[in-house]
Amino acid sequence: MADYREAPLATRPKTLDPNEYFNLSPEQRRAEEARGAVRANLKRQYQLQLNNPHRKELIEDPALTRWVYARANPYAHFRPTNKTSLLGAMFGVVPLFALYYIFKTDRV
Amino acid sequence: MRTSEYVKQQQPVNMAGVGFRRWAQALSKGKGSGISALLSGCRAASGLSKDSLPGPYPKTPEERAAAAKKYNMRVEDYEPYPDNGEGFGDYPKLPERSQQERDPWYQWDHPDLRRNWGEPMHWDFDMYIRNRVDTSPSPVPWSTMCKQLFGFIGFMLFMFYVGEKFPAYQPVVSTHLNARILFSLGVVFFIIFPLTVTILSSFKMAGSSFFQFYSLV
Repeated sequence: MADYREAPLATRPKTLDPNEYFNLSPEQRRAEEARGAVRANLKRQYQLQLNNPHRKELIEDPALTRWVYARANPYAHFRPTNKTSLLGAMFGVVPLFALYYIFKTDRV
Repeated sequence: MRTSEYVKQQQPVNMAGVGFRRWAQALSKGKGSGISALLSGCRAASGLSKDSLPGPYPKTPEERAAAAKKYNMRVEDYEPYPDNGEGFGDYPKLPERSQQERDPWYQWDHPDLRRNWGEPMHWDFDMYIRNRVDTSPSPVPWSTMCKQLFGFIGFMLFMFYVGEKFPAYQPVVSTHLNARILFSLGVVFFIIFPLTVTILSSFKMAGSSFFQFYSLV
């Protein structure tokens, strides 16, 4: 595998990254093990629910619920700053007046 | 705390009416104004609890640890978006990589999305699905591609603009004058001459000599 060349237009898989094999410190290894443990726990929870013969309902994904909630409620954490005010003005206020002016003055 | 209606009275009562009355009383006592006063102040208990939903930006290390645990991430991996009021809250900032880049041979829980159950989703997850934006490597560096494409388009637009300003074509006489000349010539040779010939030839005396001259020409 030392002469592996990735397929064109594809990223190199993480497991074939040479940094995964050489110059690995114990901290990096422990970090990878912790991540693997989190992943395995989630897999276990999902498989238990999936293969439960008495389950009749849909398996709810809390990560999906959190994502939907976060995308639907940005205004709860909105604060008017220079950047956000500028963006709001550029996208909300300027087109209004610009289009009004263009439609009123220019005829096709 | 108010006692419920059905304890006071023994007759059956219309719960819809009770609910409406309670809502109207809450409205009159409520603190909010406008639309927020009409909405209920509490969520249903069927969804996730408040502490497992996204919240505000974490300021203390304890809040960061709690947020990392909430999103199923390691505390060291958890990095929220910068707190600049753009509405992200404590949502984690994940690497900007499309789902197409993930391993196609791994047994994902959701193979078409290349995602496992419970895994934290990217803020722009719906953009990075395999049908849409793809961050896989391109055959030529992205900056080179951008420069080539926009350079070409910009150059062509500029040249067309210059061509509009300074047009270049072969010198020609006014086509209108050309048409008038040709029309007049056509009238003379194809209408007037044959007409005079036919008329004069009907006068045998004078027309015959002219006709002989014309035939010599």
